[in-house]
Amino acid sequence: MNSSPTPPSPGTVGIEVSDCITALGDAEGTVTRLLEGEVALKKSPVLGPDGGDEVPLALRGEFTHTERPRWWSDLTEFLTPLQGGQWGDAMHPVFFASSNYGIDGLYSLGRQREVRFAEFATPHGCVDALLAELGWGRHCFLLSHACVSGQLALDRAAHMVSSGMAAKALVVTFDYVGPFVAAGFHSLKILNEGFPAPYCDGETGSIGLGDGAAYCVISDEPSPFQIGRQNTFNEMFHFTANEPEGSGFQSILEPYRELAAKHRFWVKGHGTGTLEAGKLEATHIHSHFPSAPLVSWKGSLGHTLGSCAAVELAIAVEGIRQGRIPGTVGSKAPFFAENVSPESFDAADFDSALLLSNAFGGAHAAMLLHYA
Amino acid sequence: MADNLTEQLKHLIVDALSLDDVKPDDIGDDDPLFGEGLGLDSIDGLELVMTVEKEFSIRIGNSEESRKALQSVSVLADYIRAAQAAKA
Repeated sequence: MNSSPTPPSPGTVGIEVSDCITALGDAEGTVTRLLEGEVALKKSPVLGPDGGDEVPLALRGEFTHTERPRWWSDLTEFLTPLQGGQWGDAMHPVFFASSNYGIDGLYSLGRQREVRFAEFATPHGCVDALLAELGWGRHCFLLSHACVSGQLALDRAAHMVSSGMAAKALVVTFDYVGPFVAAGFHSLKILNEGFPAPYCDGETGSIGLGDGAAYCVISDEPSPFQIGRQNTFNEMFHFTANEPEGSGFQSILEPYRELAAKHRFWVKGHGTGTLEAGKLEATHIHSHFPSAPLVSWKGSLGHTLGSCAAVELAIAVEGIRQGRIPGTVGSKAPFFAENVSPESFDAADFDSALLLSNAFGGAHAAMLLHYA
Repeated sequence: MADNLTEQLKHLIVDALSLDDVKPDDIGDDDPLFGEGLGLDSIDGLELVMTVEKEFSIRIGNSEESRKALQSVSVLADYIRAAQAAKA
């Protein structure tokens, strides 16, 4: 029915370095612009150069057909600071996570029947190319579980380090918008002409999609950012629907209830902009942690899918560094719960952040981040 | 007297969703399509929306609208008529 891996003891592992890239720039630039209330999403044709209905997308660069996947040069440039070194040896594993990896390579291969698209048409093909380009060893793990992919990678990486199976672990996540993925969400009617307004109690909901990648080095070195309790849960209710009473949200949040008495935390929710899941998430968070501010940044950045947990972790870390946590940009009252925070707030008023992700299939994942 | 559109929709539902155990006449005009009625789920709903959009050259804007439109055959028929009238 569900899975809850043994969490590392709080305080045993931390984040040595993290960064992300979104339509608003790197983590520093993204936080700065979120704090200014900037919405990166723009109306764009759902099929890129092939047209289609206009939907909200937050893109890094042109949404065009390219020989290599459109994420390739952007991602490899972003990862250049981590090039070479010890990554990918037995004690320094790399955890890759993405919802879609090379799905658009597969799409192009299927449509055009040209072998040049085959290299990036599978997850392993994408990762093999990245390992070769970055000079990393082959001790790596590939995870893909829809929109909790990044959170699962963070969970497994922290577990390996805290249990002594790795000295350090590198988590790399990426998801870029492509025609196959955008059209899929569009056909589900949850990516439509409306801009996402996370947790807004409106008449219609919509998500936006965004390009996003992130990396995070987890180690047991002293760090101001310590990884606390991590947790996963799967409702196993239905492929595209949450259990109507929100039992999945209840289950993922419950282990943190007692921690709320010891820590002052704020909550970064999943908050995509859909009505049903948004209502269930916001109301359950409020019932568990009524005084914790709840934010989502997907109303600006769009949903970066399997990459979202690591992208939003990097934003959270940078927001804490800057001393100010961006609010729920792009949304407005009335909200499903009174603790939804449209405005930014001081990081120093809290000592922890609860970071949540949900996914198709009723998957939930959570991580508590402690900061001094 | 049978409504042509509702009859057409019943055949379309059975054919598009490959409902082997259901005949078009088994579906009542006002039977709920989901849950305790015909028992369709959200994947069926997605398939049905795409089929209806293609068959009747209409667009259903978002998931809330599709949920309302797919309450029953008669509601769906009304939705299609209204969408076609708005286009005309």
